[in-house]
Amino acid sequence: MTNRVQCFRFVRCFSVGCLLTILCAGDLVADEISFRRDVMPILFRAGCNAGTCHGSARGKDGFMLSLFGYDASGDYERVVNEIPGRRVNPAVPEQSLLLLKATGAVPHSGGKLFSKDSEYHQTLLQWIAAGAPDDTGDVPVTTSVVLSKERYLFKASRLEEAATVTAHASDGSSRDVTRLARYFSNNESVARIDVNGNITAVGPGDTHVFARFSRFTVGAEVIVLPENDNFAWPDPPKANYIDQLVFDRLQKLRIAPSELCDDATFLRRVTLDLAARTPTLEEFQAFTADNRPDKRAIRIDQLLADDAFTDYWTALWAEQLRIIGGNYAPDATDIKAADAFYSWIHKQIESGRPMNEFVAEMVDSSGSNLTNGPVNLYTMLVHKPQFDPKAFAADFSQVFLGVQIQCAECHNHPFDRWTQDDYYSFVSFFTGMKRKSGVEPRERRIYCDLSAPPARHIVDGRPMPAKVLGGINPVSAGGDPRTTLASWLTAPENELFSRNLANRIWAQLMGRGIIEPVDDVRASNPPVNGPLLDALSQRLVEVKFDLRSLVRDICNSRTYQLSAKPNDSNQRDTRQFSHAHLRRLRADVLMDSVVMVTGVDRRFNGFPEGTKAIEYYPREAGDTEGPHFGDPFFATFGRSSRGTVCACETKKEPTLSQTLHLAVGDTVRDRISANAHIARLLESKLPPDEIIEQLYIRTLCRRPTPFEQTALKELIGENVSDPQAYEDIFWSLLNSTEFVFNH
Amino acid sequence: MTTKRLTLHTKRTARCTMMLLLFFAIEANGDEKISVNYDDHIAPIFRKHCFQCHGESKQEAGLNLASFATSIKGGSGGEVLIPERSNGSRLFQAITAEDPAERMPPNNDPLPADDVAMIRKWIDTGLKENRGSAAVPARKMNFVPSAKAAVDGPAPLPENLPALPSIKLNRPFPVLAVAASPRGELAAIANYERIDFINTVTRTVIGSVPFPEGEPHVLRFNSSGTVLLAAGGRPVQHGSAVLYNVKMGSRLAEIGNETDAIMAADISPDEKFVAVGGSGRAIKVFSTSDGTLQQTLVKHTDWITAVAYSPDGKLLASADRVGNIHLWDATSGGVVLPLSEHKGAIKALAWRSDSQILASCGEDGLIVWWEISKGWPAISKPEAHPPVRPAGMYGKIANGVLDASFSTAGELVTCGRDGQIRIWSADGSPKASYSILGESTKLNQKRSVRIVPLRSVFANGDQQILAGDSAGQLHWQNVQ
Repeated sequence: MTNRVQCFRFVRCFSVGCLLTILCAGDLVADEISFRRDVMPILFRAGCNAGTCHGSARGKDGFMLSLFGYDASGDYERVVNEIPGRRVNPAVPEQSLLLLKATGAVPHSGGKLFSKDSEYHQTLLQWIAAGAPDDTGDVPVTTSVVLSKERYLFKASRLEEAATVTAHASDGSSRDVTRLARYFSNNESVARIDVNGNITAVGPGDTHVFARFSRFTVGAEVIVLPENDNFAWPDPPKANYIDQLVFDRLQKLRIAPSELCDDATFLRRVTLDLAARTPTLEEFQAFTADNRPDKRAIRIDQLLADDAFTDYWTALWAEQLRIIGGNYAPDATDIKAADAFYSWIHKQIESGRPMNEFVAEMVDSSGSNLTNGPVNLYTMLVHKPQFDPKAFAADFSQVFLGVQIQCAECHNHPFDRWTQDDYYSFVSFFTGMKRKSGVEPRERRIYCDLSAPPARHIVDGRPMPAKVLGGINPVSAGGDPRTTLASWLTAPENELFSRNLANRIWAQLMGRGIIEPVDDVRASNPPVNGPLLDALSQRLVEVKFDLRSLVRDICNSRTYQLSAKPNDSNQRDTRQFSHAHLRRLRADVLMDSVVMVTGVDRRFNGFPEGTKAIEYYPREAGDTEGPHFGDPFFATFGRSSRGTVCACETKKEPTLSQTLHLAVGDTVRDRISANAHIARLLESKLPPDEIIEQLYIRTLCRRPTPFEQTALKELIGENVSDPQAYEDIFWSLLNSTEFVFNH
Repeated sequence: MTTKRLTLHTKRTARCTMMLLLFFAIEANGDEKISVNYDDHIAPIFRKHCFQCHGESKQEAGLNLASFATSIKGGSGGEVLIPERSNGSRLFQAITAEDPAERMPPNNDPLPADDVAMIRKWIDTGLKENRGSAAVPARKMNFVPSAKAAVDGPAPLPENLPALPSIKLNRPFPVLAVAASPRGELAAIANYERIDFINTVTRTVIGSVPFPEGEPHVLRFNSSGTVLLAAGGRPVQHGSAVLYNVKMGSRLAEIGNETDAIMAADISPDEKFVAVGGSGRAIKVFSTSDGTLQQTLVKHTDWITAVAYSPDGKLLASADRVGNIHLWDATSGGVVLPLSEHKGAIKALAWRSDSQILASCGEDGLIVWWEISKGWPAISKPEAHPPVRPAGMYGKIANGVLDASFSTAGELVTCGRDGQIRIWSADGSPKASYSILGESTKLNQKRSVRIVPLRSVFANGDQQILAGDSAGQLHWQNVQ
């Protein structure tokens, strides 16, 4: 008879039916299709839950999935229960819209994703035919994903190799998920990877390819060698472990490093990097006259011991920690607080305090913003009238770990291991942070309210007790959780921390991080030279987080002292440190250098006379939220506005307005007419070529070439005592790219 | 076995009702103890946040909240407080508006949640002036059931419908639609590519008509029970509506040719029009005599999930997936009113037989009885079908109300994702509830396919409730 009658029988025999169904259901059996284990990966692989499709925050065309599947039970609801019988139709499984859409049988904005005879279709069909069941009990979750090789080396372009992907589950089982993973390459001009994991070498170079499955992104290095069998490794001398590791890598890639830079270039480079200014005439003369073989190392030590080094690194930390002084009391960022914080940092750097202790003290501090400098971590890192734990946790992790966990606020990090659980547990370290009024209007007392509840998970509202990133168990209750956080964060075992510091120091001196950008550490942005970063990080731990020791190592390496002039084999290299990077001077260093060269001071509003540009931080008559450059020169030359903690706030690109400002703005022009150097030189009756030489050394830290000498002498002609001609030469030197760049 | 199950149901229902009564009694007592009033509780809030602009010295918009009398009187725009209707009270809307530009107090943080709750309680408990005063009387609901269609005699039953070839289904088709004849012992049930007629007394299938168009999403009898409207189709392929002669099983009309299955449909009381809607976002009104498109009503911004003609034939109500309801003039197609209260997809619309009340329910867990003459909620029941929260589970649980349908006497039956069928008296108070999961609830929790009731209607002259679930099963319940 009709089906409905059968169905009626079913109703009548309801209890019996139930029992029968029970016998068929139960815990996960191997040949049963599980929503989480089998169906979700297909939705991921086919791209259904990608950000541009149904994984977007509001879904697509009325159907929403969680981005890359962070919310499996929500996805089950939406696929199966939201509109009964439509997306999945257990009565007539092949008529389920899920299948019709994916196979392109009906119009679909996302197009056809797989064919009717694919294994994906088969799996989905089988699941729907079984009634589209939800999972019961514990479904094994993926705990790690492994690519078949860590490194793929191609001897030539156009070669291919297939990668396979294995997923390991919490029940100890593992399976091949090559056909369920998604793939991408970081540089398609070096290597491509197709949907089935086949890698093709495209052109010489090195990059990483990645496979993504579940919430994991795993990468493998790909090296494609240049087709140059005649390559001979020049085997340059190695000053220390840094050279060993950089040269290992270069040799592997068949790239020869540039030559060692000359003494003048070295002196200018190291003075700009350690003292934040150009060298003086006297320094140049002394250094070039010095014949000791280790004079470079000696110079490095002298600069490290100089106050300027302390001033510079204080400025770098102050910028990173977003020190801005204001006078809007709820922000708790009064100028007095900013000064307290600034001078505290200065003291730490000056005394050579281990950087882990320096950070730990800030993290674990409480008290008055006006008198206890380090507590201003909680007022300055995020400028807001009320403490915002989520924003703070995100910035905290970006600054001290280089990790951007804020992605995990709304969904599991798409390209790293961080989950929403990690994020909200981490936020809970700061949910108790409060401010209360102090004894005077400008004062706020920062404290941790131990009774504050932890953050709640956004998907299901679950309270998430404080837990360190990547930790398994929450920190023990009772007491200020920040104490645990500080000791975990700055412990020698915490590689995230030491690698972050090492990478940032390296980037400061080399113009580029081993991980770049330095504050976007993630699985899909691996270091370009892993062993080098490991070694620097280990070294930092060995020297007890002493900043000067690591800086000394780097500056003494041949790698640091390489010329910027490329050779045939390394001219395409931009990331393996085979030659020095041309770096535009930071805005504040440029200003200090102009002052240094011209001998004419620059005043900064609200700061005493003689304050260097690097010692300046913005002071505002109001609140301190948002971007603040302070001095307009800094806006033009891209000094960090301190609007966010992002490393990208410091702009390194040259711009047209910078060129125009140096050419016709008051910074250079006024100083040339006001300075006394040229008059003094003319009075001393030196011959023109010596005056030219002095101007050259003063500005560019080198002697003019014979060609330059001849040409400039022609320019001066007969009027050897006309200041106008020398002023023009001085102006030209200050406007040259050679002056504006560190090379 | 059926009998045994029904007895169990009845016992359980009785027990549930008793427990419910007990529960409400307790809650009422609790209310009396707190007894929010203007003098003790509300004036301090108004003083702190409102008097500056709506007080003795200044009356913005003519509104003075500094005394009970002037507060009740309202401003130049009329009353701002309606007893027992916080959601309909202008004042409450103003302090809870999500848009900061609309919200009171202007250019300021919203009122503290406690204060808002206090004001809500004050309104909903009848706007008492002081500790001793009685509540301002709420509007009475003037409900007069309208007469049945003026047709005498028993409902026509299908006679000798030809047997249909059986369709092999993988498992029973979910009961997407159920309709009960307004005149007696007949119900129509949606099945895959067919519609089954059931004798509601014997509870057996007495015939089926084919629906080769696909899946019937909507079934509606006309007021005399002689014609059945079926609408549906195949997802993203085809949609149409069909009118059947109930007695003969013959097709009277085939209406519409949509590109997606029709999800909402109704036939006008004068049987001249069929209105349909679906993922196309427009409501199309077709002539039943020649199938021509008469009107296209455009206002909804998402899928149309329900349409319903008022029994007096004057209005057409339509609802969509983002929670908007629109009322249209059934003849001209002109816009009459928007009804905004729902925050999620609306699943059903039902008119009371006097055309004065429209009920709506949806995935936001809310049931609203709309007072059509005023355009505001006469009664609104949030969390009308609250599911039991499993131990250790946090966050939102799906608590949607999936269907709502009136009896001739004005009682409402609803079903929801909590697995319950609930009956609500004409005044909106809960009357009875029972679970379709019955004694199998415990077993069901272990099963990995959740069964939810999709449709619930009064049947057999309001003597029974007939519900259908997502596993293709029917559930009967006698009504006292």
